[in-house]
Amino acid sequence: MITKKIFMCEDSIEGIFAAIYDAGSSRYGHDNIRIQVQTAGTENFDMELFSEYIYVAGDEEKALKVSKAIREKISGEAYEMVCHAALSDEGKKGDMIYRFLILGFSLGPKAVNLLNNDKVLNIFNLNRNVMNESHHFLGFLRFTESKDNILFAKIKPRNDILRLIAPHFSDRLNMENFIIFDERRKTAVFHKSGFFWIYVTADDFNMDKLLELSDQEEEFQSLWKTFFNTIAIEERKNYRLQRNNLPLRFRSNMPEFSSNDINSSDDISGK
Amino acid sequence: MSVIIQERMPVQKKLEILSAAAKYDVACTSSGVDRSGSPGGMGNSVGCGICHTFSADGRCISLLKILFTNECIFDCKYCLNRASNDIVRASFTPEEVCTLTMEFYRRNYIEGLFLSSGILVSPNHTMELLCITLKMLREVHRFNGYIHCKAVPGAAPSLIEMTGWYADRMSVNLELPTASGLRNLAPHKSRKNILRPMKQIQLGRKEAVGKPFRIQDSRTGSDIKLPDDLRLKDSLNKDDLRLEEDLRLKKDLKLPDEWKSEGDWKLQDNFKNPETVILRPSSSALGLVKRPAVSRGFVPAGQSTQMIIGATPENDYQIISVAEALYQKFDLKRVFYSAYVKVNEDSSLPSLQDGPPLLREHRLYQADWLLRFYGFQASELLSEERPNFNILMDPKCNWALGHLGKFPIEVNKADYYTLLRVPGIGVKSAQRIVKIRKTSNLRFEDLKKIGVVLKRALYFITCGGKMMYPVRLEENYITNQLISIKERLPYGIDGSNLYEQLSLFDDVNFTSLNHTDIRSLTL
Ligand code: SF4
Repeated sequence: MITKKIFMCEDSIEGIFAAIYDAGSSRYGHDNIRIQVQTAGTENFDMELFSEYIYVAGDEEKALKVSKAIREKISGEAYEMVCHAALSDEGKKGDMIYRFLILGFSLGPKAVNLLNNDKVLNIFNLNRNVMNESHHFLGFLRFTESKDNILFAKIKPRNDILRLIAPHFSDRLNMENFIIFDERRKTAVFHKSGFFWIYVTADDFNMDKLLELSDQEEEFQSLWKTFFNTIAIEERKNYRLQRNNLPLRFRSNMPEFSSNDINSSDDISGK
Repeated sequence: MSVIIQERMPVQKKLEILSAAAKYDVACTSSGVDRSGSPGGMGNSVGCGICHTFSADGRCISLLKILFTNECIFDCKYCLNRASNDIVRASFTPEEVCTLTMEFYRRNYIEGLFLSSGILVSPNHTMELLCITLKMLREVHRFNGYIHCKAVPGAAPSLIEMTGWYADRMSVNLELPTASGLRNLAPHKSRKNILRPMKQIQLGRKEAVGKPFRIQDSRTGSDIKLPDDLRLKDSLNKDDLRLEEDLRLKKDLKLPDEWKSEGDWKLQDNFKNPETVILRPSSSALGLVKRPAVSRGFVPAGQSTQMIIGATPENDYQIISVAEALYQKFDLKRVFYSAYVKVNEDSSLPSLQDGPPLLREHRLYQADWLLRFYGFQASELLSEERPNFNILMDPKCNWALGHLGKFPIEVNKADYYTLLRVPGIGVKSAQRIVKIRKTSNLRFEDLKKIGVVLKRALYFITCGGKMMYPVRLEENYITNQLISIKERLPYGIDGSNLYEQLSLFDDVNFTSLNHTDIRSLTL
């Protein structure tokens, strides 16, 4: 019997591309290969008997080769879709990207249009899901102002969208000092007034100082809640619609939904 | 007018009063203009718009939506702020509005400001206050985010123009679909005063296109221009259409004294004195005032308007005909429909026992969508004989059932606009069909994958010459089939009891049902 070769890689574009590079240049045959991204959830996944695990380290050179191949043999659009898909929290994304690329390398630019093909549809959906969440956070993210006049935001996105939203905020608030922190991945974006943003991993990030709020912070939060509560039309109250448009998972860092204000808390019973 | 004015009211209280007063205005989008940040300033704008939160009624909150003042001298019967109501009155100062906008914006609560107002002292006085506020926001606070500002009906064109250079979007509310409705319920407003600023803004935008800055228009691609001979009967009266000329004549009007604001607006604005602002009376809609140094374009995100639905007796056909005329003759970006909410007791207003007419509002939005993106005309959707939408099904299904002769169409051949006319195929799935069939032939299972709702579409399409099942193309049969698939209405618009009541009338010919019929049926 043929043992399945499972290429294990880091959860990053670079890692996935390196694994794809190694898998593609191996001689095992596409059907006997799987690409598996190591994410927090997969650390202790069930190892399969009769499978051989190959650990691939991230490698810039291999990654660059793959990205060049995608742009040249498929298209820039395909490259963008794959990069976004790589930021998804879907466990099978590594293999999905691999399957899509095999198809794309044989079909060329028209591959991205074949939405009736599952391999294309998978990437299309991952891409859409990542972009949707990223767009949501452009609106739902909230800054608080610290004593040191730094704007600080915490987010807990499903997908790794921090670097997708950073350019927007750095353009919009270019004269502000701000930090956006991904609580799930312990990564952060720092922006200093007048400069470009930087992305860092921040495992032992200490936010105590940032949570010391400025004197007027509470006042503006309270003004915002006042506005939020009065703007709703009583005769049209519709908590289901509200929850449909703004799922609960986004609300933890939004002052208008903070629990010390009963008026703004959502009706959990769904009446 | 009975007014309770509190001296030195805290901003919190003002905000409460003046946002409550603005909540019935439905336009809260921040869309229509892409603009990147400005060095040293704060803010940018994203063409597709961004929702920042959703209020308890499920509506998107994108902008800080407030009235500048609710000290209104007008007495519109449907409005909470009408002069004859006994309510607490308040007015912001421009500085207060600026602070709220800037601080909310920094914290990413909002995309920008939506500034409307009651009529304080006079239309010109009010418009001047709005203009001063915008000017301060743009020039003192260097705010570069989105601003939507109301144009006050009856205000001088020079003030409208100045405001237009600072705002991204402007709107003048039509309020009620017909001039007679307006006469009955808003005695201080006239159709002409509403349409004149609308016309000025439209012409101004056209003129501004030739000027050395770019107007980015996210809708150009999808604009649906109908040939002139298909133009519907004018639902706006003739007077309204002479506005263009009218406006040119009014150009160098001498502004009345009353709009020179009193009080403590200690701003050195160069347009306080009308003589200095009217630079050159010309034959254009612009050029009445000196343009601000930093130009973002003249009303770059275009204008919108809104109509109150259900306060006056107009039928759906009248309403969408007016909307169509507004899109075609005034280049509006959006027409909003607002189900009437009863806030005042008044013998000239309907009683609305069932609450605001939400399902009707929903049908109008669906139809509006068909006008803007699907290439439909109002006269295809409704007629004098069938003046209201079918309460049981969306306007497109309703249309398709009335035109079974045009179906079935072949998915692999039909052009884009024909595909769009099939129930169950929307803009996205039609685009995907066109894309995919360049490389491969589509089968029914493919359609399902890309989002076509087959249980609706199957009566109207063939794939490779075959229908999905052998079905009778017969109006009553398909109507019954389609009605039995429950339509996904937005939460809260509950059609369920309606369906139950209808099942009592199994032999009713559904295709002829409309609002009024239903009402008489269920009484
Ligand atoms: S003008 Fe009419 S609609 Fe506007 S605030 Fe005054 S009363 Fe209300």
